[in-house]
Amino acid sequence: MASCKTLLRAIPRSSKPSYFPLQSCRHESTTRRHKKLLHLPEASSYTPDKSAPTLIFNPPSSEPNVYRTPLKFLPKDDRRRQLYSAAVNLSTQAALRKKTSAIAQPGTPLSTSSFLPPKPSSSLPPAVRQQYDKKYHLKDKDIEEIRRLRLEDPDKWTRVRLAEKFGCSQFFVGMVVKAPEKAERVERDHQKSRNRWGQRRRIAREDRVRRRESWGRDV
Amino acid sequence: MKRIRISRCGTRFPLLLALPRPTCRYTAIHRNTTPHNHRIQTRLQSGVAFADSYSSGPPSTEISPLTKTPLEALPSPHPSPAATSAKLSALRARLSLPPRFPLQTLARALIHPSADSNPAFNNASLSILGSNLLGYYTTEHLLCNYPRLPMSVVFAAQYAYIGPKALTTIASEWGIEAAAEPGGEVDPGLLQFKRLRSGDSLPDVLQNRKPRKWNITTTHKILTSDEFGSAMQRKEAQESQAQPVPLEEAAQSFVRALIGSLHLHLGRPFVKRFYRDHFLSRHLDIDKLFDFRTPTRDLSRLCAREGFEAPVARLISETGRRSRHPVFVVGVFSGKDQLGEGSGASLDEARVRAAAAALKGWYLYKPLEVTVPSSMEGEIDQSKWKPNVVDCGEVIV
Repeated sequence: MASCKTLLRAIPRSSKPSYFPLQSCRHESTTRRHKKLLHLPEASSYTPDKSAPTLIFNPPSSEPNVYRTPLKFLPKDDRRRQLYSAAVNLSTQAALRKKTSAIAQPGTPLSTSSFLPPKPSSSLPPAVRQQYDKKYHLKDKDIEEIRRLRLEDPDKWTRVRLAEKFGCSQFFVGMVVKAPEKAERVERDHQKSRNRWGQRRRIAREDRVRRRESWGRDV
Repeated sequence: MKRIRISRCGTRFPLLLALPRPTCRYTAIHRNTTPHNHRIQTRLQSGVAFADSYSSGPPSTEISPLTKTPLEALPSPHPSPAATSAKLSALRARLSLPPRFPLQTLARALIHPSADSNPAFNNASLSILGSNLLGYYTTEHLLCNYPRLPMSVVFAAQYAYIGPKALTTIASEWGIEAAAEPGGEVDPGLLQFKRLRSGDSLPDVLQNRKPRKWNITTTHKILTSDEFGSAMQRKEAQESQAQPVPLEEAAQSFVRALIGSLHLHLGRPFVKRFYRDHFLSRHLDIDKLFDFRTPTRDLSRLCAREGFEAPVARLISETGRRSRHPVFVVGVFSGKDQLGEGSGASLDEARVRAAAAALKGWYLYKPLEVTVPSSMEGEIDQSKWKPNVVDCGEVIV
């Protein structure tokens, strides 16, 4: 909560003339105020509530270990299933039991709602892409129609237009019918414009392709 | 029982022995004494018959086994000075081998067929045994510990554990030194092989340029190829005799031959311990061996195959979306369970990385209790045996 407060204070005020009465405003003009501002509370694992020496475990944030098999991927008779579900239950209960409303702490902005955050299992993060269900609505004669249109005039009936007309994906149109001479022509045009690239652009594009290939290689 | 098809006959094998040579002096000496064991006697007699049949070929170069031959005439060091070689004793101590492992065998493991083409003196037979043992132990370790690994990753892991480069590294870590030129007068503690001159091209047998077939599937690789699943075919090691080879080739053959000779002299438990200490102790990041081309598609196929809900990529957190260096953290969820998590500079990158991480989570499953089959060999009490997990196979799109 203290970090939220410091952030709020760090935002500079707008210099527009205000019609409200003048308020006193404290600036971070001295070193002491700067240091105070930048002071963040330590992680809770570093400040144990007991005076006895305890184990401090505070690893840096990192990607999850791929050797830890997710619960869903474990076979039915694996003993880790019970362990994982027990651990999830325990942590959820502990988190809900320990949690107090944020407004109980000093220094909380008034705009903070007094409700507790929802349970971890009740809501999922938003999806990256729009979810859709496959419809499987195209019949044989639709597919024949797609083929006829695409082969008749591949410049007019592009994959995009056919996909819009028939309500399917461009990938599906490409699976149903191929226009090799058009693909060849387009590829030739692309190659022609690629030949005009300078050195910097070519290096940048090649690096981009190389980075794209590394997505599936290193985690 | 199905009969094994014979592709090659063994008759052409002795023809390779061009130059006759005196037989081992041990047999020559022991022939005069009376051996107490009749089994040793029969073996010696057969060995003498073997030598005599060769020396009867060209009469001009015939050398009696009892005459004193100069050491320089021998293609490789004689077994007798091996017992007093300081280098061999040091090597045996360095590898923590027990003293009952004979130094003569260690010296023989150091002789590559390019130095000495006589199969009774070089390490060809031992290295065949050793390479099979290494392949067996590595394969069972990989398949029992990671039952879901795709076959290409198994091949890559085999290559990383016991491939030619790994064996060369192991030999150099053991401190194997090579002789400049093989010969009978050289210290037997040095690796004996005919050295390939720098700048010369590899001999034909080592150039594996010949493809097996034009379409190589994984099934072909499992059935017909070597333990590394190489698509190129190598010619037989028999034909590589008396041709100069690079140092790596000779060093690998020594490591394999050492494993084979340890198995013969010290038995299976010792070899397993030796293998665990020197080969399995090398750290291999198996998760770095994967290369997914279409991880999102593979993951949705996997979920459909296993009956899970279709995977959905969800944005867990993000920072700096409109900045030059944004970071997105995306998790792949199936239902309410998170399968994998990945981060990247674009939503697509994070999504693909998360799918790859989820696939790795599936493939790198490791059972809790693993009993490798070779640990049960010769055991009377079979109650400790736990059946291993056998997976239905990798995802095929």
